Amino acid sequence: MLTDIFTNVFFLFCLGLAVLTTFAMLVFTPARVRQIYDGLYLISGMAAAGFLIAILTLIVVQMVARWTGEIFPGAPEYAGYSMAAASFLAFANALNNGAHIRVSILINAVPQRIRWLLNIWCFGIGSAVGWYVSYYAWRFTYWSWKFKDISQGQDATMLWIPQSAMVVGAIILAIALTDNFLHVLFSGNDRLKSAAFEHSE
Amino acid sequence: MENISIIILFLFVMFTLLGTGVWVGLSLVGVAWVGMELFTTRPVGDVMMTTIWSASSSWTLTALPLFIWMGEILYRTRLSEDMFRGLAPWMSRFPGGLVHTNIVGCTVFAAVSGSSAATLTTVGKMSIPELRRRNYPEHMVIGTLAGAATLGLMIPPSLTLIVYGVTINESIKKLFFAGVFPGLVLALMFMTYVAVYSKVARKWDPIMDDRMSFMDKLRNSRFLIPVICLILVVIGSMFFGFATATEAAAFGVIGALILAALQGTLNWGSFSSSLMGATRTSAMIALILAGAAFLSLSMGFTGLPRGLANLIAGWELSRFELLMVLLIFYIILGMFLDGISSVVLTMAVVEPMIRDAGIDLIWFGIFIVVVVEMAQITPPIGFNLFVLQGMTGHEMSFIAKAGLPMFFIMVLMVFVLIMFPELATWLPDNIRQPGAG
Repeated sequence: MLTDIFTNVFFLFCLGLAVLTTFAMLVFTPARVRQIYDGLYLISGMAAAGFLIAILTLIVVQMVARWTGEIFPGAPEYAGYSMAAASFLAFANALNNGAHIRVSILINAVPQRIRWLLNIWCFGIGSAVGWYVSYYAWRFTYWSWKFKDISQGQDATMLWIPQSAMVVGAIILAIALTDNFLHVLFSGNDRLKSAAFEHSE
Repeated sequence: MENISIIILFLFVMFTLLGTGVWVGLSLVGVAWVGMELFTTRPVGDVMMTTIWSASSSWTLTALPLFIWMGEILYRTRLSEDMFRGLAPWMSRFPGGLVHTNIVGCTVFAAVSGSSAATLTTVGKMSIPELRRRNYPEHMVIGTLAGAATLGLMIPPSLTLIVYGVTINESIKKLFFAGVFPGLVLALMFMTYVAVYSKVARKWDPIMDDRMSFMDKLRNSRFLIPVICLILVVIGSMFFGFATATEAAAFGVIGALILAALQGTLNWGSFSSSLMGATRTSAMIALILAGAAFLSLSMGFTGLPRGLANLIAGWELSRFELLMVLLIFYIILGMFLDGISSVVLTMAVVEPMIRDAGIDLIWFGIFIVVVVEMAQITPPIGFNLFVLQGMTGHEMSFIAKAGLPMFFIMVLMVFVLIMFPELATWLPDNIRQPGAG
């Protein structure tokens, strides 16, 4: 029990230290760190896209198997895991591209100064929720790993493997929210692309 | 409801977070967290993760990104030009003329696309310039497009119905087929309006195209073959029981890719941008669904859904009156929230009411979709208004006013649906289930 608490605290400590250091660098030597972060969002988005292709492949393979009389045990579960990975890994990328929906009526109506404050509030709350979810996602996955939780389905996967994608995605989203929070705080406007909707490009 | 003051606090937090512009998915997580902390002594974080994990790793959900992807691929093909060329010759002599291409085009495209905005942009990018060139009244062009594009939500596949089905645990396939006839009826109602308007209006002098012979029209219809094949593959495979909704979506993506390849519009650029677009849109919906799953768990602890259901039951409303209350409620909600958010946000509370009143949940799905369709074109927040503003550069108020007749037609549709519930319930009861033939 004590070692568990220790591992948890240690993980959090390392993560916090790493993130704080990079954020500090972002404020002081922006250009280089900016590249690293943007790269992170892009790569996680591309990984998410990869999982979307994986979903398609799994479903097709499963159908072909059914027609030829074979069985592909666990395909629905694998597709489900890919769905979770595709969603979580894309959260940060979607945020920076303005794809996440928000009620923008107030934020568009108020003068510049108040919009700035509202944005700080939004990213502040967002970061808090993001880190909260990340921490518990980590704990959830850690316990799955510790107890060697196995999927109830035919796939019998060790659940911590697909769940780690959720942890990684949640942490990247939290980083993106904090990144934007700092950006709004110091430079005044957010970095979200103002695409009201993806299709309108 | 004993904890009335705590419930008011809970609702206050919800409206504050949503209203100040915190992203909907994250707001829902925040509100749910507050609810759990106020009403239970459970370890909130761990319960939250169990809920979020099972909500986001569900097999049913996988239909969502695939249908979105399909729409993204088709948007980048020449499908809209082809559809216009195939449809226009048939429509031009109708009363109302080419304005009907907007409606029929949206209806056809809705059968391969699950979203209203995708339908709007795909059909509109061709029909708006063509109809303007022929001197059709601008407000009719914009208005019918805004209204008819919402059929993308009703005619299968439909993202809203997937989200609704996942939220209340109903068969997506049944919901899809429930939308077919109401969608067609709604399209007919739009067309009737256009025809009548063209006869009554004082200013209606569009430039007519040259008259085509019947054979020429038929020859032009070849442009419609690809989209019809795609509809047959997607909807047909589900209808005859070959495929589940997710499998039909996979067929759709592959079909759309083949179509793009045959047209020569498939290249690395269009492929990757369609894929990334689909990834982001589906992540957006997944975040809302994850938050909503946690919220509906938390709502259960607050006792709000049960309390409200009892309260409403106490009023002894008839079914019709209950539906009218919900209609007004959703119209108001739809002015500020998008369709998917308002469905997931309210279902935890509305579902027990509906069950108590003995209303069929499949039928109610279609009711919700009509109401959500209205939300797409009601100011100040309506997705179609935003998209049209981006496409045409008109003022929001102009577009909203042009769409107003369509809004009333949809209200009329709600009453049609109440009068003839079989419109929505007959087809889903008569589809073949997989394995049964």
